[in-house]
Amino acid sequence: MRPWRRATLVATFVGAASASALAAEPIKIGVVTPLTGTYAPIGQQVRWGIELATKEINAAGGVLGRPVELLFEDEEANPAVATQKAEKLFQVSKVDFLTGTVNSGSTLAVGQLAERNNRLASTTVSFSDAITGDKCSPNVFRVNARAGQQSAALAEWLAKEKANAPVYFLGPDYEMGRNTVAAFKAASEARGMKTVGEVFAPLGNKDYSPFFGQIRAARPSVLYTSVAGNDTARLFTQLDEYGLRKNLLIVGASGTVTSQNMGALGKVAEGYVTGVGYSPEIDTAENRKFLAAFRAAYSADPDLYGADSYGLVYFYKAAVEKAKSTDTDKVRAAMRGLKWMTPQGEKEMRAGDHQAVQDMYAVKVEGGKFRIVSKVPGNVAIGPDTCTRF
Amino acid sequence: MSAASAAFDYAQFVLVPQAFNGLVIGVAVILMALGLTIIFGLLDVFNMAHGEFYALGAYLGVTLAARGVSFWLLLGLVPLLLLPAGFVVDRALIQRVFHQKERHMLTMLLTFGLSIVMEDVFKWIYGANTMKPETPLAGGTEILGNFFPTYRLFLLAIGSATIAAVWLVVNRTLFGAMVRAAAFDRHMAASLGVPVRKVYSATFAFGVALAGLSGVLLAPIYTVFPTMGKDFILMAFTAVILGGLGSIRGVVIGGLLLTQIQALSSLYVSPVWGDPLVFGIMVLVLFVRPQGMFAGKLRHV
Repeated sequence: MRPWRRATLVATFVGAASASALAAEPIKIGVVTPLTGTYAPIGQQVRWGIELATKEINAAGGVLGRPVELLFEDEEANPAVATQKAEKLFQVSKVDFLTGTVNSGSTLAVGQLAERNNRLASTTVSFSDAITGDKCSPNVFRVNARAGQQSAALAEWLAKEKANAPVYFLGPDYEMGRNTVAAFKAASEARGMKTVGEVFAPLGNKDYSPFFGQIRAARPSVLYTSVAGNDTARLFTQLDEYGLRKNLLIVGASGTVTSQNMGALGKVAEGYVTGVGYSPEIDTAENRKFLAAFRAAYSADPDLYGADSYGLVYFYKAAVEKAKSTDTDKVRAAMRGLKWMTPQGEKEMRAGDHQAVQDMYAVKVEGGKFRIVSKVPGNVAIGPDTCTRF
Repeated sequence: MSAASAAFDYAQFVLVPQAFNGLVIGVAVILMALGLTIIFGLLDVFNMAHGEFYALGAYLGVTLAARGVSFWLLLGLVPLLLLPAGFVVDRALIQRVFHQKERHMLTMLLTFGLSIVMEDVFKWIYGANTMKPETPLAGGTEILGNFFPTYRLFLLAIGSATIAAVWLVVNRTLFGAMVRAAAFDRHMAASLGVPVRKVYSATFAFGVALAGLSGVLLAPIYTVFPTMGKDFILMAFTAVILGGLGSIRGVVIGGLLLTQIQALSSLYVSPVWGDPLVFGIMVLVLFVRPQGMFAGKLRHV
């Protein structure tokens, strides 16, 4: 090789080597979220929220001077797949922190993996109470509101709106369906409402008319339901068919009426009320800034999954900066009791169970959109700390 | 309240509406199962994609309704559109494996593959979100203290009319005679001038058109989404097996029986046991009397 060519080659190598030595080593956050499959729309919001926050943080200098690097894996809304992908991210990609799981089962499974790998993980979507309740883990944190908080927000609003109302419960017959019904039953009965009946239909039930006789006989003024997706579309349509929507206030879980079935529901969703931790209508400066940035970047509105995922990256940043390290034990200690700013205002991470305490909202469907009808302060909505592991 | 009047009240306010609901669902299942049993009866093909043609009918209905086509027009239009679709599927896919020795296995696998492809095509074109056409007949009537939605009464009427029409076509028309002849003895029928291959394709088309019609009819109350083909397929297959493969009378009676059993059992057993019960009946029939209640009329065993 000609001498000058060799020199150029050597110079290029040296230049490249020194350039990479000068750049700070990135902090890696693994995101295991459903990118395909039924929950892909949720995974999409999670991705958008996390990417937006990361972009902003990196533009402002990163965390402790280091850029944040995101590694995405598709969990396909399947706990087994989530575990495999999480394992890969921990062992091969050596991520410092893991998040993104949607399915509560995935979150619990990934949490166990995080313990084995001595890393921390967080969910921004899963709302099963058990995750920060009886199945809590010292390595798992939750920045989003759980089912108990959503129920409390809804029950607070309902108790004021229809005091001592007779309530009928209709849920899908599986763990999540039964848990949400039980949670709301406890919250509503504690506030003076009467339970006049409950029934559980199979998941994916086609026809709810066999249950209408007993519903009508019980004469409720409120119907609480935790069905989701197509089941919601069928239930509400059939309630309307049988004239049961007159004089009946329908309330339910946050996942019951979403953009997935809102189109099919149309006018039969009007008046539906639920409890959530986020709404684009929240009138804080942080939310306005967040909304503007989100809409500009993705031409879509954020929902609670997008907002909570955005808030998560800032949570991690605040914790690492407080701990001045990414060491698992130091960050964990920093996260406990940490207060940080999110589009929903200030959230506090409760040390006892790793559950975020935040203000909650009751929202109602009006004109095809959810509108805030009441706000419940964080300390009222948060339930007791039932985590006994740490 | 006396025991007699309590029993009467129970019958009037619990059993009657439950039986009515079972009846409406029964008619829906029979419409789907009719096509299935005809296709099996004649073509000896287990159409695993039958549910997806039901979905196709519903999706076509929603698409056309969005363009302003009235529901009543759709009832005639959608089955008509499905005829060429069925014809093509038979010619292009099923006929290719029809003359091979493992016909049953191959057509089952083929139609199963078709069902997977169709489901994904629906998701691809329409998205995964649920859709629903407007209910064409809102409101209901109060009869004997029970509320009956008008649309369900209409379903019952039109379903029964369609079943009667199908029976007429198969047993009282020339086309029906050709179909039955080709089922009975293909070669003899061919040598007598029956265009057997065309009759096969036409029968398949007719079967899936029936499935599509039930898709349009049920969409306003059961909504439309990519995996909806799986909704009734278990019931439809069980009704076909219970009634006897190829028997129209069998599938009607089988369908009614099964849906009534399911509707009334959900009163006494948890509703989650509905599907396992139906499946259990299918397994039982296959053990005890595999030819079903009425051995095939369209086709000799």
